[in-house]
Amino acid sequence: MENYLILNTLNFPILSTLLILPVIGAIVAMFLRGDTMLKYWGLAVTLVTALASLPLWSSFDQTTAKYQFVELRHWFPALHLDYVLGVDGISVLLVLLTTLIMPLCILCSWTYIKTRWKEFVIVTLLMETAMLGVFLSLNTVLFYIFWEGMLVPMYLIIAIWGGARKDYASIKFFLYTFAGSIFLLVAIIAMYITTGTFFIPELMDHSFGFSYQMWIFSACAIGFAIKMPMFPFHTWLPAAHVEAPVAGSVILASILLKMGGYGFLRFCLPMAPAATAYCMPFMIVMSLVSIIVGGYLALGQSDIKKLIAYSSVGHMGFVTLGIFLLNDAGIKGAMLQMLNHGVTTGALFILIGIIYERTHSREIADNSKLGMFMPIYVTFLGIFSLSSLAFPGTNSFVSEFLVLYGAFDKFPLVGAVSILGAILAAAYMLRLLQKMVWDDSDGHVHHGHDDHEGGESHALFDCNAREFIQLAFLTVFVFWIGLHPTPLLDMMDSSVTHLLHQIDAGSIVPEAVKHGESHALLENAGAWIKNLF
Amino acid sequence: MTSSIFMHPATMFIIGALLLPLANKLKIQKIWLVLVPLLAFIQIHYLPESFGRVEWLGFDLQFGRVDQLTVVFLHVFTLMALIGSIFGLHVKESGQHAAAWLYVAGSLGTTLAGDYLTIFIFWELMAFASVFLVWYRKRRRSIEAGYRYLLVHTFGGLVLLGGIFLHYQNGHDLSFVAISPDTATLAQYIIMVGFMLNAAVPPIHAWLPDAYPEATVIGAVFMCAFTTKTAVYVLARGFAGFEALMILGAIMTLYGVFYAVIENDARRILAYHIVSQVGYMVCGVGIGTEMAVNGAAAHAYAHILYKALLFMGVGSVLEMTGRSKLSELGGLYKYMPVSMVFTVIGGIAISGFPLTSGFISKSMIIAAAAEEQQIIIMLMLSLAAVGTFLSVGIKLPYYIWFGPNDCGLKPKEVYWNMKVGMSIAAFMCIFLGIFPGYLYNMLPYAVHWHPYTAHHLAETFYLLGFTGFAFYLMSKYLKPHDVSNLDLDWFYRRGADWFMWLARHPVNASNEWVSNVYQNVGLRFTRATAKALSWFDWEGIDWALDGSARGVVKSGDQVRQFQTGKLQQYIGAAAALIFIVLIVVVLI
Repeated sequence: MENYLILNTLNFPILSTLLILPVIGAIVAMFLRGDTMLKYWGLAVTLVTALASLPLWSSFDQTTAKYQFVELRHWFPALHLDYVLGVDGISVLLVLLTTLIMPLCILCSWTYIKTRWKEFVIVTLLMETAMLGVFLSLNTVLFYIFWEGMLVPMYLIIAIWGGARKDYASIKFFLYTFAGSIFLLVAIIAMYITTGTFFIPELMDHSFGFSYQMWIFSACAIGFAIKMPMFPFHTWLPAAHVEAPVAGSVILASILLKMGGYGFLRFCLPMAPAATAYCMPFMIVMSLVSIIVGGYLALGQSDIKKLIAYSSVGHMGFVTLGIFLLNDAGIKGAMLQMLNHGVTTGALFILIGIIYERTHSREIADNSKLGMFMPIYVTFLGIFSLSSLAFPGTNSFVSEFLVLYGAFDKFPLVGAVSILGAILAAAYMLRLLQKMVWDDSDGHVHHGHDDHEGGESHALFDCNAREFIQLAFLTVFVFWIGLHPTPLLDMMDSSVTHLLHQIDAGSIVPEAVKHGESHALLENAGAWIKNLF
Repeated sequence: MTSSIFMHPATMFIIGALLLPLANKLKIQKIWLVLVPLLAFIQIHYLPESFGRVEWLGFDLQFGRVDQLTVVFLHVFTLMALIGSIFGLHVKESGQHAAAWLYVAGSLGTTLAGDYLTIFIFWELMAFASVFLVWYRKRRRSIEAGYRYLLVHTFGGLVLLGGIFLHYQNGHDLSFVAISPDTATLAQYIIMVGFMLNAAVPPIHAWLPDAYPEATVIGAVFMCAFTTKTAVYVLARGFAGFEALMILGAIMTLYGVFYAVIENDARRILAYHIVSQVGYMVCGVGIGTEMAVNGAAAHAYAHILYKALLFMGVGSVLEMTGRSKLSELGGLYKYMPVSMVFTVIGGIAISGFPLTSGFISKSMIIAAAAEEQQIIIMLMLSLAAVGTFLSVGIKLPYYIWFGPNDCGLKPKEVYWNMKVGMSIAAFMCIFLGIFPGYLYNMLPYAVHWHPYTAHHLAETFYLLGFTGFAFYLMSKYLKPHDVSNLDLDWFYRRGADWFMWLARHPVNASNEWVSNVYQNVGLRFTRATAKALSWFDWEGIDWALDGSARGVVKSGDQVRQFQTGKLQQYIGAAAALIFIVLIVVVLI
């Protein structure tokens, strides 16, 4: 087991600390009184967690694909079930994304959430632990516990602080993603029965038979595709996004959706490489459909939140596309796209929350001509819209560029089709920007330099310091990743190379399948089920 | 590397644009607006041949590559930025100036780029910055036109990006060098199409007359200079000698003129003239000889100045009166004499009058066509020159400043800064006409061409004189019918020549169709389909899912009703069940 691991050399158990801190924070929050106190407490705990996670960045060893900062405790020896935490180049950035986004979730709820602050802080902190647990677990059971553990706090966030149709949206979210996870559980148990281990790196190295791989792949892929969400499993997302409070939307967009992509990289690709190679065309086609349909649907929306929700479908389509291109540029692009989507779409949801607090409407038409009244807000809206449509110099450009490059490198036609998606992205984001910023009515303005400000009183006031800090913080990442992505890509490098090596080594099998043995799949399936009992 | 980034003139404009709001707060915006372009204009003379080499994601990028072809474009771009900024000094909105400067930065960045990826980055910057120059007009039509403009350019940019990816795959080399027409690959043709979109080559030109007339006054001045000319530069750099460009360029010259002649809105006329004039340059690039490429570069230089001058003149009228339709203007010479003089200078320059910049540049391209025995091309270019003089040289100034009707407005003369901007451009138009050597020395190849030959002068005067005479005759002839502005409208569509009438019906229809195709078919259809898809999403897929969930709940409810809570009934039911099972087992 130790072949895969580098034990933690820091003088404190960093990964367990990250998991425990929010839980302790939540327990303490139970005994606190007063909304203001709770707000500051929530902020403090998330900030401390974020600070505690920073050594992951500074002490990360880029030269190895092994899991680092590992903590290993025996848990249920009889089942070979251990408490193993660790990060590699694939998960470390997602962990950092999570810890850095969470303080913003508290900040953006500061005045948005008006009731039950105690519960809100507790639920948000528990959510943080669950999400971090997913990225940190090196054990399938632990992974699954955290995976399902995320559902409850998220359900509560939507169901308690959500909008008008919160009951519908929260139950839908819960059932939909829960249904997907069931398949994942089946796969986890099936793999344990075959191999006798829950340890993820060992499962990766185990070479399963082809048809077995197909079953594993399908079971995992459904769970992850729902989480992603990939067309046609995406319908829970707009409902959940629209009804969730601003923090819920940010968590959903920035972190929860990344679980799907992470799952693909952690489970499907290395554990079922032959099946991955076999299913690649199908997954690529579905990714393209997600990109195009997501963009198209976004174009048809009049509700800002729905528009951004559908745009997420399109952006995550780029992630799955990159992943299933199975080349270096594609996978790196996909991973970077996950981070970028977390930054950019998170910021867009914060922006929507800000405007919703002022106008109490999410309709584009009710939020027009903001340019006159909220110049700072509009500036940020412009920056993040440009980032969302992958304008050169912003973060998304780098990731979409890498994915497109990977696509053109492998299948030029796929690249050409996904470029259409990029055009759609420009169309819907610019439509949003144009309608929100400018006055749509045709006033009598022939002197282009007329000064509109002053004189007119309006309830719209510009961003305050708290809102400014959140947006400015994310803006730093937009340009940092956009202009100098190399440090991030270097962090991924060893792990991605290792992953590609795993896929290459494991995907020799389908050569036989390609030559007329694919029908054996169903026969094998029958035999496999018999063996199971 | 860090220092070489600051060497880039685009950096100066980008930083300048970012600091503009601050300058506005400190009340030094006007000084800042002159200072930055002036410094850039000086700076370009001290650029090394190669700088700003960066490795990015494993690609070798070159932000600065300077040679003769670059210099001439850099020179005119920075000069134009200075003129435009001075012209717009009175505009208080920092945002509009910042957009203009970012736009200039995009153009300079493209011009200096040594590889395709850098071109793409600045290409996008150009498109996204310039759209704000349209949106700042803040009218519904402008906002919609800007949106369409940006969509078309995003599309063009991504076509370019696709071509670049394909090109990279072929040779794993991104450097932007001349491509031979004999060995050009599909990828390179795709790149060329991406460039052609920005050069407004029909049928992908409709964005230009759609958006430019809707821009702000200073926006149009900037836009007329940079997008198309940057495209001419990249075409000249990469695709010189492509026959397709020669033919398309010649068509462009006539195409633009046709529409310019029948248009009513002054800024639409000028916009169509950009298509026409850029046609000369594209044609020159397509001919591809040293002289033709020289001509294209020289014409780009001259064109930027006189077209900007014309846009400034017409923009002045729009600024002071709020009108730009010829049918609503007339008799303004009494009130705005300075603007009138400058517009007329721009008009004669674009028409290629001797002693103006148009004469020394346009003639080079036509002569290059003749040298290559392209007689038809040469005739097309000459014919377009006639149309140009008719529409911009005569019609435009006539109906704005003189005209048969008096519009009744008594506008003031424009602000001083606008006069300064126009006077610099006007000075350059005349200066280049008198001292062509100044421009010729900047051109990429040595110039062996003398514009002021007796034959050439006679030919020009003959063409111009004939056109002017024809206009004079028809103007007199039609004057009695001139009872209202509507008649005026009818006059210039009908009166000038028979080909205008012909152009209007078949060609205008197709043009309208082409320019509306992305609006009517594209946008509306897309939105309708998007709505339909959305409906299917919520009502179709969701209905199935929600339906199955409801089904489960319903059947659960029904099962629940079996439970009465009375123990006897349960025992009875269990006994009955056991009995039935037993019977089944025994019988089988």
